[in-house]
Amino acid sequence: MTTPGATPEPKIQILDLAVAYSDGTESLQGITMDIYAHQINVLFGPAGGGKSTLLRTLNRLNDQADVALQRGQILLDGEDILERDYDVIQLRRRVGIVFARPVPLPMSIYENVVYGLRLAGVKDKAQLDAAVERTLKQAVLWDEIADRLGDSAYALSGGQQQRLCLARSLALQPEVIMLDEPTSGLDPISTFKVEQTLQNLKKDYTILIVPHSVQQAARIADWAAFFLQGQLVEWGQGRQVFTAPKNRRTEEYITGRFG
Amino acid sequence: MSRQLSQRIAFTLITLVAGLVILPIMAIIVYIAIEGLGAISWSFLTEMPRDGMKAGGLLPAIVGTLALTIGTAIVAVPIGMGGAIYLSEYAKDNASTRAIRIAIINLAGIPSVVYGLFGLGLFVIFLNFGTSIVAGSLTLGIMTLPVIISTAEEALRAVPQSFRLVSTSLGGTRWQTIRRVVLPQALPGIITGIILGIERAAGETAPILFTAAAFFLPQLPNSVFDQTMALPYHLFVISTQVPGMPLQIQYGTALVLLTFVLSLNIIATLIRRHYRQKRVW
Repeated sequence: MTTPGATPEPKIQILDLAVAYSDGTESLQGITMDIYAHQINVLFGPAGGGKSTLLRTLNRLNDQADVALQRGQILLDGEDILERDYDVIQLRRRVGIVFARPVPLPMSIYENVVYGLRLAGVKDKAQLDAAVERTLKQAVLWDEIADRLGDSAYALSGGQQQRLCLARSLALQPEVIMLDEPTSGLDPISTFKVEQTLQNLKKDYTILIVPHSVQQAARIADWAAFFLQGQLVEWGQGRQVFTAPKNRRTEEYITGRFG
Repeated sequence: MSRQLSQRIAFTLITLVAGLVILPIMAIIVYIAIEGLGAISWSFLTEMPRDGMKAGGLLPAIVGTLALTIGTAIVAVPIGMGGAIYLSEYAKDNASTRAIRIAIINLAGIPSVVYGLFGLGLFVIFLNFGTSIVAGSLTLGIMTLPVIISTAEEALRAVPQSFRLVSTSLGGTRWQTIRRVVLPQALPGIITGIILGIERAAGETAPILFTAAAFFLPQLPNSVFDQTMALPYHLFVISTQVPGMPLQIQYGTALVLLTFVLSLNIIATLIRRHYRQKRVW
């Protein structure tokens, strides 16, 4: 844990990263920034700015997309994860992701949570049970559904599904959790619960989130990075970026003049 | 003419035309049932044919068709599912994939008698399997492949892409994702395709004409390398090759074949409906 004022330690260092898709949609140009451990790191900006692309590059989900160009380095604990022979399966267990729309797998609540563990070869029932209880409590879902873990995950409400997806990512005990607009489809109460959860989680995890609004970004950011059309315009401590932005475009976006 | 009136006329016409689709199939089933029901008896289903097929039962033809159907499934299911999984989950969109797709489409368009000749040349003569259940099953299996591959691929593609993404993001390899998420979700559709494919094969005459079927063989096959009687070919024989054949036996045979094929069809429909209702996405 970091004390206020002390410089936090970087969990991920992004060095001059560029990504372009073959269909020319979203891309990243020369991104250099750090993702700090035990902090809520926020990526914000208008749609199409490259935030989701960055998330998908960080755990190499982009490997399956049509990437035309990729250069630069992403160091996770000092190791370049973009190396060709880097173990991507292991990487995805260390860097989890929660998507904008909750996607429960077509199985029970219990099986959803332990899915990643089963893939990793965990068979011990006690270990799986413990993971389910631990992560559902972390995701503030346990009290609501503890008595119906065998039900289909699709029986849950949208907000519950999203917290289930968070629990599912947490089950692998990742070091970094990335969330891509995790509250975009949720009502204010569910949104509040998810934000609370993130505050609780940051002492154990590194959190990287694309919030669904500037307001949310300002509420939760320890560190904030403003992305515009594939470029990193401004990056700094959340308080500074949202109260005294250094770049005119950041200021215009925050004050609602565009976006 | 008011808009409502023209709409009503159009709806009526469309309903009538749709009703016309049902008419021929109902007519065939009812007519064959009426004409053939009198021939159906326990001994008709369980006895050997006698008196130059003019009396006795259908047992060797029924057993032969069952054997060929199972053999077709053994040949076509693994290859068909493998092909579908490859095309849906692994293949990139490039020249060789396009070539495979064109091959499958053309395979579906080849007349069944040509499959028969192909089977005769490759399996019966060149590979020396002789006229046998093996040669017939292989021939029917190849003929069934396009149906199984295209329906199975469609079923696999219908599984939402987001499931694959989630599974991958949780550290799943491609094969783990297929086995644990994609395949279970696609299975009902795949099974339906398999049944519809082998059902068509079960009713085919031309492909087994040169590869498996015996004109008259009043005994059960001892091994898969034996010739066999089969319902569709038997029906062809007693309808055209045997003078003085009692009509009722012909219709009775047709009824048995029709019942077998329709049962498979109904089973496929039930499976599909059962799982559609349980589907959550």
